[in-house]
Amino acid sequence: MNIIIVGFFRFILFVFLQIFIFNQIELGFGIHLLMCPLYVFLLPFEINLFVSMALAFGMGAIVDVFSNTYGLHASSLLLMAYLRPIIFKFFSPREEYDPLKTPTYYDMGHLWYFSAFGALLLIHNSWFFILEAFSFKSFLYTLQKIILSFLIIYLFSLLMQVFFFRRSKK
Amino acid sequence: MQQLIAFFKRFRVFLVFIILQVFAISTYVQYLSFPQSQYLTSASYFGGKSFALRYGIMKHFELENTNKKLQLENVALRKKTINNLYQINRHLFKVSDTTYAQQYDFISCLITNSNTGKLNNYFTIDGGELQGIKRGMGVFSQKGVVGVIHNTSEHYSVVKSVLTQNINIDVLILPINLYGFLKWDGKDPRRCSITGITNDVKIRKGSKVVTKGGSGVFPKGLLVGYVEKLRPVEGKPLWDVVVRFSEDYRRLDRVYVIKNLFIEEQRDLEKKIPNNAKEPTL
Repeated sequence: MNIIIVGFFRFILFVFLQIFIFNQIELGFGIHLLMCPLYVFLLPFEINLFVSMALAFGMGAIVDVFSNTYGLHASSLLLMAYLRPIIFKFFSPREEYDPLKTPTYYDMGHLWYFSAFGALLLIHNSWFFILEAFSFKSFLYTLQKIILSFLIIYLFSLLMQVFFFRRSKK
Repeated sequence: MQQLIAFFKRFRVFLVFIILQVFAISTYVQYLSFPQSQYLTSASYFGGKSFALRYGIMKHFELENTNKKLQLENVALRKKTINNLYQINRHLFKVSDTTYAQQYDFISCLITNSNTGKLNNYFTIDGGELQGIKRGMGVFSQKGVVGVIHNTSEHYSVVKSVLTQNINIDVLILPINLYGFLKWDGKDPRRCSITGITNDVKIRKGSKVVTKGGSGVFPKGLLVGYVEKLRPVEGKPLWDVVVRFSEDYRRLDRVYVIKNLFIEEQRDLEKKIPNNAKEPTL
């Protein structure tokens, strides 16, 4: 029960932050601060795939409505939610994932966090920016957007966890 | 039949994924070309309201700047009022004028939400159908052209700004009256380019770029920016004219929507051109 309430508030918080704060920060060089991927990534290990896909799609759709992008966020977040268990399986530790742990930087260690979140974020960003450009005409610029946004979002994701998350109790 | 059910059971996650994905991408592609519903944009009631709320908080940080700008504009306007003009011909001067009729009406609006970093940037303004704003009207600010109304609701509208890829405003480069189309490449919110200009004409750096006013969306002579440099297009006898906008869209706050009172008349007249008439090709 507790986890549902926490998840609900986290959903609202991420949508709010994305729309009113991160969407307004414009760093130039084509950098977009997309923090919704972090929400999708931090969902519990054991979550039903349908639920996580619905949450990702819903979050994307709400953010789309507020930034006039119509389905761009929804599509890329949905892709990320779908690929999440596959990537998790690929990078799984020798024993199974501990259901008491959460996929944060604190619980799983930096190496795991970097490879799993990095891979998912890279997929998400590529999908997002290629779909936004909708052509391969200025591909170098799209590539620049993907990589610079990746670095900045990764940094912000670490910062957010340092400030707002704790190590879960053993 | 059983095999079919087993198949669906096995791939149901993938099927849900594909259905949602197709839905999202198709709406995205549809919106790129033309907006069908206004309910899912920031012009909708809820979206507009919440951005207006945010604006209510944020506007105080820009207050001093805005005041300064408005004061300057007041000075410029005050110079033009009849009280402050010297009357030369005392007998013939009349205030009620029959030579000129009002063609353009302006509606002042505030920008409640704007982006400049995306590939296609839309601004939300706090005027809508109640103020008589309709799709296709022009929008400008004190310093230059802003865009065209893209989508309206009762209280809010979305402006397709000049920072979108297929805006195509017809402009003139001033001292030589050269005609071209404005394009934005999606990178720098301070600069845009004009295409379709042959490289046999000489264009001086710093010459004024204004609207042509051919389609009746903008009045003639509205400032867009200044020519910054000329770049040759590879393999074609054309210039790529780089224009620096006169307005800084990242700090835009107050805009005016242009209502052309004669637009119906112009459209009606233009509709009477027969379809099979041969149009001059460029």
